[in-house]
This record gives sequence, C-alpha cells and structure tokens, in this order.
Amino acid sequence: MGSIQILLRQHVGAPCEPIVKAGDNVEKGTLIATPTGLGANIFSSVYGVVEEVKEDRIIIKPDEEQKETFVPINVPEDASKLDMVKAAGIVGMGGAGFPTGVKIDTDLQGGYILINAAECEPGLRHNIQQIEEEADKVIRGVKYVMEISNAGKAIFAIKKKNGKAVKVLKEALKNEPAISIHLLADIYPMGEERAVVRECLGIELDPTKLPLAANSIVINVETLARVAEAIDEKKPCFSKNLTVIGKLNGGNEPHVYMDVPVGTSVGELIERAGGIDGVYGEIIMGGPFTGKATTLEAPITKTTGGIIVTMEFPDLHGANVGLLVCACGGDEERMRDVCQKMNGTVVSVARCKQAMEMKNGALKCERPGICPGQAKNNLQFKKDKAEYIIIGNCSDCSNTVMGSAPKMKLKVFHQTDHVMRTIGHPLYRYLKVSKTVDQDI
Amino acid sequence: MSITAETAKEHAKDPAVLCCRAEAGTVLSASNLEDPAIFDDLVDSGLLNLDGCLTIEQILGATLTKTCDSLTPLTPDVLDGVKEVASEEAAEETAVPVAAAPAAPAPVAGPAAGGVLRIHIGEGKDINIELPTGLTSGGAAVAEVTEAPVAGVAAAPAPAAVEEEKVIRTLTRKHFKITEVKRGPETKIEGTTLYIREGIEADVVADQELVKKFELEIITPDKYHTYSETIMDVQPIATKEGDSDLGTGVTRVLDGVVMMLTGTDEDGVQIGEFGSSEGYLDENIMWNRPGCPDKGEIFIKGNIVIQEKTNMERRGPMAAHTAFDVITQEIRTVLKKLDESLVVDTEELKQVRRPGKKKVVIVKEIMGQGAMHDNFILPVEPVGVLGARANVDLGNVPVCVSPLEVLDGCIHALTCIGPASKEMSRHYWREPLVLEALHDEEVDLCGVVFVGSPQINAEKFYVSKRVGYTVEAMDVDGAFVTTEGFGNNHIDFASHLEQIGMRGVPVVGMSYCAVQGALVVGNKYMTAMVDNNKSESGIENEVLGCNTLCPEDAIRALAMLKTAMAGEDIKKAEKKWNPNVKATNVELIEKAYGKKVDLVANEQSLPMSQKRKEKYD
Repeated sequence: MGSIQILLRQHVGAPCEPIVKAGDNVEKGTLIATPTGLGANIFSSVYGVVEEVKEDRIIIKPDEEQKETFVPINVPEDASKLDMVKAAGIVGMGGAGFPTGVKIDTDLQGGYILINAAECEPGLRHNIQQIEEEADKVIRGVKYVMEISNAGKAIFAIKKKNGKAVKVLKEALKNEPAISIHLLADIYPMGEERAVVRECLGIELDPTKLPLAANSIVINVETLARVAEAIDEKKPCFSKNLTVIGKLNGGNEPHVYMDVPVGTSVGELIERAGGIDGVYGEIIMGGPFTGKATTLEAPITKTTGGIIVTMEFPDLHGANVGLLVCACGGDEERMRDVCQKMNGTVVSVARCKQAMEMKNGALKCERPGICPGQAKNNLQFKKDKAEYIIIGNCSDCSNTVMGSAPKMKLKVFHQTDHVMRTIGHPLYRYLKVSKTVDQDI
Repeated sequence: MSITAETAKEHAKDPAVLCCRAEAGTVLSASNLEDPAIFDDLVDSGLLNLDGCLTIEQILGATLTKTCDSLTPLTPDVLDGVKEVASEEAAEETAVPVAAAPAAPAPVAGPAAGGVLRIHIGEGKDINIELPTGLTSGGAAVAEVTEAPVAGVAAAPAPAAVEEEKVIRTLTRKHFKITEVKRGPETKIEGTTLYIREGIEADVVADQELVKKFELEIITPDKYHTYSETIMDVQPIATKEGDSDLGTGVTRVLDGVVMMLTGTDEDGVQIGEFGSSEGYLDENIMWNRPGCPDKGEIFIKGNIVIQEKTNMERRGPMAAHTAFDVITQEIRTVLKKLDESLVVDTEELKQVRRPGKKKVVIVKEIMGQGAMHDNFILPVEPVGVLGARANVDLGNVPVCVSPLEVLDGCIHALTCIGPASKEMSRHYWREPLVLEALHDEEVDLCGVVFVGSPQINAEKFYVSKRVGYTVEAMDVDGAFVTTEGFGNNHIDFASHLEQIGMRGVPVVGMSYCAVQGALVVGNKYMTAMVDNNKSESGIENEVLGCNTLCPEDAIRALAMLKTAMAGEDIKKAEKKWNPNVKATNVELIEKAYGKKVDLVANEQSLPMSQKRKEKYD
C-alpha cells in the first residue's frame, strides 16, 4: 500500500486545519484536521505514521497491517443524532461535498427527504450497487435524516432502468408508508439537485434556490449510508465508494469498490482494477460529464465517485473548433482541455442560453434537461468558421444541437465521446427515449 | 433559442417553429418556440422551410399530437386545438391615407414603408373613432387597437394648445465673395481677391515640431484634375465679429473658397486608417456634400508632411491641423476688418423653440478613439483650434450644444478616414439634420448632444449611459442618433439607441450601413434606422463624403421619427441591403408631403478613377 494523501479541502467551504504533525502515529478514525469555517472533520483512513503535513494535504505512511477496527467518533454519551453526523465529518458524497451536518440541520416541518439515487453520470455504478446490497442501511440513514430534519416523507429518485435495485427497494420499503419511489427516465441529467426536486415534487426551482425552497432536502444514497454508520456504529467518515472503469486490462466493465480509504491514489485503484490496457487518452476523476482530467498520483477524496481511463482522442489536426459550454457538462476550462487533447483550435465559444453564472462563477442550468434551443449557437459557430464543435450538453440539448449542426456541416463531438466509446455506451447525440416514464414498477 | 411569453406576443404573427424536441401531448408555450429573429439565417442555410407553417398566436396553447424534433415548423397535422385567429379579411379595417411611415431595423438599415392608418378591431361594440381633420396632409399619426371591447381612438400629434414659436437666439452670417486667390507680399482681401502671404509656409512648418514639410496650392476649377494626398479636412473660412461666442452674434464667412488639408507622413503613408481619398481631386470628391467642396469653389490646399510613423499617433494629425490653422487664422484676421460694403449676402439663422410640438433632440456620435479619430470641440473661431478641447481629452462624454453652435463651426473635425462616411468640419457648418429639424414646424428641436466614440468597450458603455441620462433629463418625445464611419463605433451607436429606447423615447438611428457597414451589433430598440449610403454598391468607396448624411436622409429620419412618436410600428427592413427600401420611402414621403425630395448624385457621376476601377466598381 502506497502513501495516503488526505486533502484538507474535501468539501464546500474553507480548508481544514491539521491537528497532527509529522511523526505522529494515527489510527483508522483518528481526527487529523478540523474545520476553520464551513467544513467537516477529516479523519485518518488508515493505521500509520504521519509522514508530512503540507499546506493542502496530510501524507500518511500506512502500516503493513491494517485492522478492520477504527477509532469511534468522540461524542458524549447523550449526543444527538445530528451531533454524531457533524462529528463524523460527513459531506455530500454524490460529488457536491456540502457538509451534511449543516444541510440536514433544518426543520422541514413535515417536508421531503429526496434520496438521489439517479447515479446519472454514465459508467458509474456504486450507488445502485449499494442499494442492491445494503438497502437496509441506506433506509436506516433515510429515517435518521427524516427524524433530524423533521421530514414527513421521503422519496427515492432512481432510474427505471435499474430494475434490480428498484425491486430490492420496493421489497425493503413495503412496510414504510412514508417512503416511496419515484422512477426517472434514462436521460442526463436527472441527478441534478433541482431536477430531482422537479421530477419528484413537480416544482421548478430557480438556479439560485436550494431544495429547501421546496421544503425538501436532496441527499445522495451513499451519504445516507454514512449517516447510518455514524449513528449506529459511531463510525467517522473516512472511506468512499467508487467505480473504476475504462480501458483496463480485463475489459471495460465497471469495478465497484466499497469503503476505499480516502487518500488512496488513483494509480493504486487502477492497478486494483487490472491496470491500464495499453495507450490511453486521459484519466478522469469523477463522471464523464462533470469530472476533470487527473493523474495517477492524485488521491481520492470524500467526493470522488469515479475513475475513468479513456481511449485515445481523435486528432483534428488543428481544425477550427467551436465550444458549446453549458452547466451540464464541463466548464469552459475543461472543454478547452478536451479540445486541446483533440488537437483542435478554439475559434468560437458559445454558452447555452440556460447556463446561468452563479456568484461563485459556476454555471447552473435554469431548467436541467429541458432544452432552450441551440440553433443560434450553431449559427455563431458557422459564422466563426468552426469546422467541428464540441458540446457538453445534456441529452435533450445534444439532440437539439444535432437538429441543425450536421445540416450546417458542423461536425459534432460530445465532450464525453471518448468515454462513451471506451465503456461501450451510446454517444450523446440524438434523443430517442421519452423524458417521462411510467411509474408502474 | 426558446423565447419568452413577451417575445411570443411581439411575434404573434410570425411562424411557429419548435426550438427543441417536444413530445406528443405537450401543450405548447413560448418556451417551446424558436426565436423568429434567426429564421432568415436558418432559411438561408436551408435548415428551415416555412411553407404552411402556422403562426405563433395560432399555436400557443395547442397540443402536439406527435413527437417532433427541433426546428420543426408547426403545421395543423401535428396539432390539436389550433386557434382560429380572427383572420385579416374578417377584421374591420379602416384605411386612411396618411403620411409616410418610412422605417427599418437592424441588421442592415434602410427604411421600409408603412403608409396607411390601420385600425384593427377584432371584437367590440360602440366604438368611436375620431380623427383630426387635415390628417392627410401632414404628420403621421396612428393608433392601433386590437380586441378592445370599447375603445375610442384618437390619433395625431397631441392637440395641445400650440403656443407661439419662440426665437431663443439668432446667428447672422455675413457672406463675402471671393473669386480669385493669389499669393502676395501680405495676406489681404481686395474686392473679391484673396491674397495669401508668400512664405507663410515657413510659419506653418515652424508652428509644430512634427510638421516636416508644407506646401500650399491654390486649386481653381481648371485644376481640379490634380493629384492629391488623402483629404484630411475641408473647412469654411469664417470668423466672429467682435467678442461674440460661437452660435451667437455675427459670423463673417468667405464664399467661393474653402480650406483643404491633405497629408502623409515622412514615409509617404497617408494619414488615414481605413481607406484614404488620395488621387485626382475630381475623381475623389463627392461635390456639394455638406462636408465637401462645392463644384466651382477654389481650394486653398495645404499638403502637410508630418514626422514618420506619427500618422497613427495622436500628436501627428493634431499637429497637422494646428499648424494649418496658422493660415486660416491669418485670413480670419483680415476678414474681421473687411469693409461692410463687401458683404454680398446676409442670412439670419434662428434657434427656434416650438412649445407644444413634439420635443426632439439630436445626438451626434463623433469619433473619439484617438489619433485622427478625434474632434476639437468649441474653438473660439468657427472651425478654429484655439480655445477648443479635444473630444478625447473630455473623455468622450456627452456635450450639449445649441443647434446654432453646430452651424457656426463648433466642431473642428480631425476625422479624415473612411473618407466616404466621415464628417468633415464643413459638414457641421451645413449639418442637414440640424437644419431640417430646426426648420420643421412640427417638431421642437431642443438641442444637439455630441458624444465621442471611445476605443475601449467599457468606455463606450460609460458614455452611452451618460447619453441615456442626458436624454432622460431632457424629457424629449423623440431622439435622433447619428454616427459617422462604421464598424467599431457601431457598438456605442447601438448602445446609445438602447439607452434612449429603454427610457421609452422613440429613437431613429442614422448611419452608413448598406453592405460594407452592416451593423455588427443590434438591440430591440434599433427598429427605426436610416441608412446614409449613397454609393451604388453599398460600400465605403473612398470618395470623400459620398455616404454622409444629406438632406434626403434628414427628411427620411424626420418622417420616421414622427411616425415612431405617433406610436405606429415601423416596418422591418429586409435582411439584406436593398436600395429600393429607400426609394420606396422617399416616394411615400413625396406623396404624403406633396413635395419633391431631391436626391443627391453618387460616385457614378464622377470620372472613374483608376483606384475605383481596380478596387470597387
């Protein structure tokens, strides 16, 4: 086992302050950094010795032998459930990383807990697998959060295509009248927070609004399991479930790993999954849409959901490229990165009309998954003499782009093409399925 | 891109096309529809065929019976619940011939026409329509009422008690005739002969360090076929009597002669940026344009050579203009003392206010990017240098002047490039829009606002916002925005129109656009536009003054603004430049006003130059 690198910023908010120094012995579950503002406790994920404390990370050399036991969270006997969640350092594990203890510290007055089981990024599978294998633990987490936030109802938002998981859930929920299931169509994005609210409750939220405005909290499957662990086992949050997939020896099937110690390197996980199969394009940390290129040395965090090794990029030989930036895919920097790896020259950048820039500079879609029309952007690309365009759009918008781009002789690439080809998933081009699904299970 | 409910309303009669895939069962709303603004481009690209397409008002609220993809024109076979819109034929329509409504929007200006008073009543009873008498002879005034249960429609300029005209101030121009210009031992005027001191060239060179060489030439009509470097400016020779300020008192002016500044830098580079008018004078000057020499006039033509590479620096053109004014100033001094008996003509220009009439303001955008894109504002003498402040130094902010200050030479234009569309100093002396608006008894011209066009976008919006507040404070009923040149300055030009339009003030824009100067930006307030183009093929043909604002443009702009102020919609121009739009509007105006509009000639009336033959025609 190589060194473990635990980043001091694994959540929304300020970096944590280290409370250990080089040479300190640590155990699995030892508190090693605490928040300085908005944030969440960070624990050691292994038994070992602190090698170095850097500005942005703590490096731990793990012991040869790793026991299963861990140091429980340090809370008084009479600590509330919410206190336990806070002490355990749980953050939104779907990728957002918002401190869970802060999110659920609210009074929904009988409102909704919406369980985000969309697992929308193609290729990822660990959320669905957890439902299949540990539905009870997840449901315990749901009930704890309902209690903490004073919610009256909970709804699992899950794609209908995950037949087995849906069946398991239905069985597990048969005596839970307050918890129901809402089936989602297999299009991207369904897991966007406000898309979940819209699909489950029929309320369209403005991009600046949180689900709280609809009297609800949206929370990821794995996060709920961690809540159950914190309360039932006093277990700190120091491990992560994730999917490794891509151009790997042994094939492109997903490898799901549960409870991987936070801080493990990308390279180690790839090796565990069989190692890279020959030449490759890039390694992505996260999903194909919202993930970013990473390196073998990079460590995983509490929010890492996927590690993807892709096939090589096509070579555009310097051709003129237009970028269509939206909130659903990569930001402009990521799109430029993809374009550069394809050896294209960016001549035009357009932004989807619905991509609203938030105060922090991030883009959010006004109506996730519902296209506002794209013909005008294509006219711009044409005018700017683009030969190719790279888009990062959702299923519906990609379909619209395809409605005019080919006729204008613009050749379309989707930012996720190299991933989709690698994992054998259809490319994002035309939309052939309905956005609404029959709720019969 | 999908549209808002508001846009859908504006485009109620436009074709309805899906912006995105919509599934069967969708109840259609504005958010399902593509913006009609891009249809032309889509049709051009072969992406759209609008034959048989229903209109937006017909399909809103209808249900799609079949899943359709983006850019599908909506037709009855895929819809349930298409609205029967009270068809045009069924509606009651009263057509009263009324003054022309010329008009046009972005992207390519050039007015289109209206020409009827249309009162559309979809449904209703007990409707009284009162129309003022004499409507057929004058200003356009129209109101449109749709589906009003009870409605009274009154049209025409508010019949407010019209007060007496007020003369705010007057400016007297005393004209002195010059028939001959000679060189002599001293600068003087004898009878109708102007003598210019021999050796004055040395004074010009000595005046400015950057001026390296200077030659003076007297161009009489028989020498019009003389080669010249690019024409940097054409100026009247005029001076104030006594201590009166520009725009007041008495101005003395020489007729039959103009100052003409031409030049290059030491490397022989023309002092110009986009295009230059060098060549034979008779092939490169559009005679009798407001800013140009009139055919028959004598030019006192100074050719200046400035230090190498300073042609595109601020100091170069400034030095050229300042040094050249040494000669003009010497003539002014003589002119001041000239005997009253030599006055051949006296005219009185009155600044008139017409309370009760539609109050209008003219906003003139002038160049302020620096180098030769600058203007000296408000010199002591007409088109002088002394006492003036450079537009760029003033930060290009709006400066309010009286119409008489404009006509008295308050702008000394450094502008010398984009020869066909730029306004020379003389242009302001004879500014057609100021003159037309001042003389038009149906409007009350309250003033003229000059605003510079800065180089940087942030500054462009800084000044355009000031224009907005300035116009807001004036409480006008309508505004004109004119510009010279094209391209970069169209960004702030468009922003001025927006700033004024968003305050609910009808606004007419005037610019050379046509083919080469097609607007690069636009906004929803740019619906009333007049194209100053005169060139045959719609281009910047490098013929001095060819595409500048002329009386025929001023007449069209006034007619258009009156139409807009009366609340009538101005018809959209075609997508591509079409000179017939102007022709049609002129015809309509002639019919409505019972007055012939004389159109000026264009470059085709000049002998063909080698340059034009090679580059343009």
